[in-house]
Amino acid sequence: GQDAAAQGFRFRVDPLVFTLLETDVDTDSAKFEEYRDLGSGFLASLDVEGESADHNRTFDFAASRIGREDARYTLAYGLSGRYELRLDYNKIPHRFGNGGRMLWSRTGPGVYEIADPLQGAIQGAVQQQFTANRTGVTFAFLDQLLTPYLAAAQEVDLGLRRDRTAARLDLGRMGRLAWGVEYTHENRSGNRPFGASFGFNNVTELPEPIEYDTTGAELAGEWKGERGGARFGVRHSVFENDVSTLVWDNPFRATDSTDANAYQSPSSSSINGAARGFADLAPDNRSSVVFADGRARFAGDWWASGSASYNVMTQDEPLLPYTLNSAIRGIDPHTHATFDATDPANLPVRNADTEVQVLALNGDVGTRFGEAVSLVFRYRYYDYDNRSPRIEFPGYVRFHAVWEEIPRVTVPYAYARQDLGFDLDWEVFRDSSLGLAYRRQTWDREFREVEGSDEDVVTLSFDTRPTRRLNLRASYEIADRSIDGYRVEAQEESFADPEGTNNQPGLRKYAQAAREYDQWRLLADFYPTDAWTFTAGITGRDEEYDESAHGLLADEVIQYNAEVSYAPGEKLNFYLFGHRADRDVFQRGRQSGSAPSTRPIDDWSIDFDEVNDTWGLGLTSRFAEGWTADVSGNWTESDGFADFFAVPGGLPLGARTAPIDLPNYEDIELFALQGRLDYRIAENAEAGFTYRHEDYTIDSFILQDLRNYLPGALLLNADNGDYQADMFMLDLTLAF
Amino acid sequence: SGAAPPQQEPAEPQPAPAHAATAAAYVGAETCAACHDSEATHLAGTPHGKAAFGRLSDLGCETCHGPGAAHAENPDDPALHPRVDRLSVAAQSAVCRTCHDGGQQMFWQGSRHQMRGLSCISCHSVHAPKTEQAQLKTATVSEQCFACHKDVRAETWKNSHHPIREGKISCSDCHNPHGASTPKLIRAVSVNDQCYSCHAEKRGPFLWDHPPVRESCLTCHTPHGSNHLKLQKTSVPYLCQQCHANTRHPGTLYDGLRVPTLEDPARGSNRVFNRACLDCHAAIHGSNHPSAPYLAH
Repeated sequence: GQDAAAQGFRFRVDPLVFTLLETDVDTDSAKFEEYRDLGSGFLASLDVEGESADHNRTFDFAASRIGREDARYTLAYGLSGRYELRLDYNKIPHRFGNGGRMLWSRTGPGVYEIADPLQGAIQGAVQQQFTANRTGVTFAFLDQLLTPYLAAAQEVDLGLRRDRTAARLDLGRMGRLAWGVEYTHENRSGNRPFGASFGFNNVTELPEPIEYDTTGAELAGEWKGERGGARFGVRHSVFENDVSTLVWDNPFRATDSTDANAYQSPSSSSINGAARGFADLAPDNRSSVVFADGRARFAGDWWASGSASYNVMTQDEPLLPYTLNSAIRGIDPHTHATFDATDPANLPVRNADTEVQVLALNGDVGTRFGEAVSLVFRYRYYDYDNRSPRIEFPGYVRFHAVWEEIPRVTVPYAYARQDLGFDLDWEVFRDSSLGLAYRRQTWDREFREVEGSDEDVVTLSFDTRPTRRLNLRASYEIADRSIDGYRVEAQEESFADPEGTNNQPGLRKYAQAAREYDQWRLLADFYPTDAWTFTAGITGRDEEYDESAHGLLADEVIQYNAEVSYAPGEKLNFYLFGHRADRDVFQRGRQSGSAPSTRPIDDWSIDFDEVNDTWGLGLTSRFAEGWTADVSGNWTESDGFADFFAVPGGLPLGARTAPIDLPNYEDIELFALQGRLDYRIAENAEAGFTYRHEDYTIDSFILQDLRNYLPGALLLNADNGDYQADMFMLDLTLAF
Repeated sequence: SGAAPPQQEPAEPQPAPAHAATAAAYVGAETCAACHDSEATHLAGTPHGKAAFGRLSDLGCETCHGPGAAHAENPDDPALHPRVDRLSVAAQSAVCRTCHDGGQQMFWQGSRHQMRGLSCISCHSVHAPKTEQAQLKTATVSEQCFACHKDVRAETWKNSHHPIREGKISCSDCHNPHGASTPKLIRAVSVNDQCYSCHAEKRGPFLWDHPPVRESCLTCHTPHGSNHLKLQKTSVPYLCQQCHANTRHPGTLYDGLRVPTLEDPARGSNRVFNRACLDCHAAIHGSNHPSAPYLAH
């Protein structure tokens, strides 16, 4: 205050907005407020700017959606050229579903329990049926058993909120040597749906507790010289999870038990298993980076820029025991001695002790030849060096239910990726340039199916502006990736004693596999007058994995867009755009029993066709003195179809003659229309009224006809589906 | 909402670069303001009008526009208008880079936008900005990007998306439009490092890693928008089956027969509905549990 007065600060509030919001939504879908807070009530926004009499010191405070779940506050104060302090507090909600139902009650951080009498009653009923007639332990039986309990189950909303804080101080940005220090912190709190399974027939969906804190700090310096500059610094990031384990009751078992088939419980095969499940949640981790960037200009129009960074990522969380199931005894495969699998002291190590060191180097060197030709050489190197130890475990507990005497060993996957190439640009004539780029990307992996690959990418581009009213851009890219072989046995790397592959030997895994692709773009901007703009474009990309026997074989997308806008002056602005993306994906699989099938008749394939249309329009008109009308709308629709194919007589179809397609491979529609009318009451006051309508529908095979209990799954079934919403907003905007 | 495309500033025959003139041809900011008073008034409220600007240059308007004597003497001669937008694209950026040559702009030279013929004033406006910070030509960062990247704009309208259209994050949170040392103008040294800046819980390294996760998040996810859950490129379980073809359930055909209906819920398979494979393999990004070599139980 005193300092401000001494500096002769003058403040201006522009704008201060008070809003009254009335919302009417027809369902409880969380989708409506996925990332926002639109509940009925008041909200306000504010921007205060201040400046000292000598114009040197500035102050800016902005607050939007004050008091809401999605509010944001920023503050900046600085002395021009000397220092600047920026503070930012940003709240970001993320809702996943409302009104889910669960049998569990949260009794502590990460602990979900079912009341003992209820758990015991369910186990007793299952036991009774299993004893009387084990084939009667069916979905119908279990559904009937759970239905009355689910009707009385408690409700749970699924969602979290990120509270982000950032503070940055810049010193001497106009000088030769500048410094910056930054602090960031994010608290993520809430929950999200989590698959906490007890076995093939007992998926138990739960709210995963989210209590994350991510803290970051950076100190960096930058030096600027006549012919170049350099930046250097350190960065540190710490992720902490306050709830690192999840413990939850088994709805079908109140007491621990085990047998060889318990991972299929509850079914006619077994009704055994653990009374409680035990899962690890995200472990604490750290990242420490030292980095340096630089650029320089040399004689003869040569220049260079580059960056180097070295990042050490570590994680050393204490390990959980194999299981909480007290009925399970671990077996050492070498000595055949048994041990208590619930005691972490019997683990070969007590902590994860993982570490990865990443070295990233990037360098560009360029020059010009005359006025028309420029050339840039590029090199990128990214080495993900995994220093984590290989830890051998004598076995593992499958689904909390069965000790599997299969020794497993952790695998420190690692890789190095290099890119080498050039960009050549030739201004063939005025405002028209031709570009040629080449890049070779090389991978060198450890423990993966494809250890080495090379991809050559060639890009041609042509940009021209033949007249001041027309821009044209075109590019074509073609690529070819070759691999040095496909080691199907790589899947066995996590087995201490490889047991023989249970995998198809043919090439697949598209991220590594040989491939060819081409992609092209044509874009045009046309300005027939200063008021009109027409834009049109078409782009395409066609990926082919011709050498792959299974998995992803082709992925093709073509996109079209068109847009028109008309802005004859300050009083009128209009735009309309449309976009269509048509994607076609083809993949093949082969169904096997206990041994990999070698019969082509066991193959199946899917042809996915997805069409996505997006339209938007906007109209702003100052149609009378003091009056402004604004209308905007968006409509987006996706229409997907999954077309299956399998040969009759093969394993995939069994006794059937044809597969059943999925006509609702994510059919989604969102329509939003908003109208706003503003009236300027006085020089510094404006009143506005807004009406907004949204209509959202989703028909998705993966969410189709979900309920709380389905075969092999006890779900939360929270509402994230259709909604229709009407919003009315009255606001008063002031400035002083 | 959709972004109206920014008005392009038409090109005209170009005068010689303003800075080629001699110092003697400078007339001073007051002379400029005598005619261009509205520009001068507006500029005073922006960083270029602050007193600190004087520490970098005492030439006022002519710092960027070049010497104005010839124009002042013949103001009606369009050939003498010292307009930055009439310079060549490279010269336009060179004017700005006289000062803005470090920091965010360190890797402008050789960057994708520079190589494709964009200049600073393609996106920024010194005299008529729509945003206070960064002085953009549109009201938000994302609208500025969408003026050219129409396909990305459409993707942000898809069902699964980052909160870009809600205004909680913007394109520039992940990309540096002024150039970066990594492809796609990613701010971090790799895609994964960029994703970890918000999703640090997936950083690991884990006891049991899922190797494609470590290579690139984009193996499975598409960052700008998807119609499938969690920004998946293809919906689970088929996404998983694009790599996994093992015996038994990974290689099994999951067609419409396995999708439950209200009339026949018993036909449903927990490998298809809800989150499909992830109903059990919940720790798909990595697990620390000794009993989770299959990335959950």
